[in-house]
Amino acid sequence: MNDRVIRVFGLVVSICYATFILWLYVRQPQTVAEVTGGLTASVGAYRINQQAFDDGLALFRRDEFEAARSAFDRADPAGQDARTQFYIAYSYYRSGWGRLYQDDEHFKKGLDRIDKAIDLAPGGRLVVEDPELDIHNGDELRAELVQGLRTDASDFNPMRVFRKRK
Amino acid sequence: MKPATEALVLPLLLLTVALLGGVRVADRIVFAPPPLFALVLGIMLLSVLVRGRVLAPDRLMNASRSPAENLNGLVVMVGAFFASTQVFNLVIPDSGLPFLLSNVFLFILLLNTMAGSHDRVSVLRSLAVITGAAFVLKFVVLAALSDPGETTLKRVLYAMLEGVTLGTLTQPVLHPATGYIAFGTLALFLIAVWMLPSRPQSVALIRLEE
Repeated sequence: MNDRVIRVFGLVVSICYATFILWLYVRQPQTVAEVTGGLTASVGAYRINQQAFDDGLALFRRDEFEAARSAFDRADPAGQDARTQFYIAYSYYRSGWGRLYQDDEHFKKGLDRIDKAIDLAPGGRLVVEDPELDIHNGDELRAELVQGLRTDASDFNPMRVFRKRK
Repeated sequence: MKPATEALVLPLLLLTVALLGGVRVADRIVFAPPPLFALVLGIMLLSVLVRGRVLAPDRLMNASRSPAENLNGLVVMVGAFFASTQVFNLVIPDSGLPFLLSNVFLFILLLNTMAGSHDRVSVLRSLAVITGAAFVLKFVVLAALSDPGETTLKRVLYAMLEGVTLGTLTQPVLHPATGYIAFGTLALFLIAVWMLPSRPQSVALIRLEE
């Protein structure tokens, strides 16, 4: 092969490899699915598994949140779809919500997911038009989760047992 | 140097070292960026390599080479810097007293090597000893001290370090795979450094007059 071709090819390969390394250090993916999903998302070619998403949505609407999360995770294994991450965060909110107390573990996981969803949404604006949900906005769901994790005087208000799950 | 070695083999080796140097396997995989001081040590190591004739920058970049050749040379030099930095990121303990002492010792050792070694073989030997010793300290000695289990090595080290507050020595527990990855990374780094275009010792030809 021509020396010049080898040199140009080596240069292109090196630049691509260096960019990939930089991307790994910035994004910190944990699984191979996250690596491949992240790379395809960066070129706009990432697609969720629609069948698994529909299954997850059906389970979510039947209040089977654990099963819904499994289906949503299968639908978006790389964690690159803002809408799916929103539903996962919402499922954590609903399964952690209680009339007398909130499950902090679920709320923390929900907060992680909604932060991820907001990061993924274009311009950080995440709106999910689902008439069966009470919260349609990523920021609103985030505020609800943060409020649930906060301990303040309102936690001791006996009237809170009458509040409604969103 | 063959074009394929300069344009492909060396950059890929050096970039792989730069990639693996920050990999930490614990309960999750973390790609740890280098601490600031590792950048300083990386620059110093590059300087040691140049002064020790292990790396000849003028053989990688000069006015007589074509733009493509010079760009390949630049990639090798930048790759060598990041690989050196990541090697220090790899062998320096993560926290506490060992982090501080390792930084100081490596700094002094590199200064000493810079001042004392002017031939390729001794610089390569010195580099292998420095990185090898730091590897053993972090991945064998400190890993044994930080291991939550009770091993023979740990008991021996406890006896030797009697009186020292171990809280200042223990490190985050890493998966054993991290040590193997680190060993492979150091081996790759030494191979890459050995392959760098070097400057031969200059020889003067003197005619003896009868």
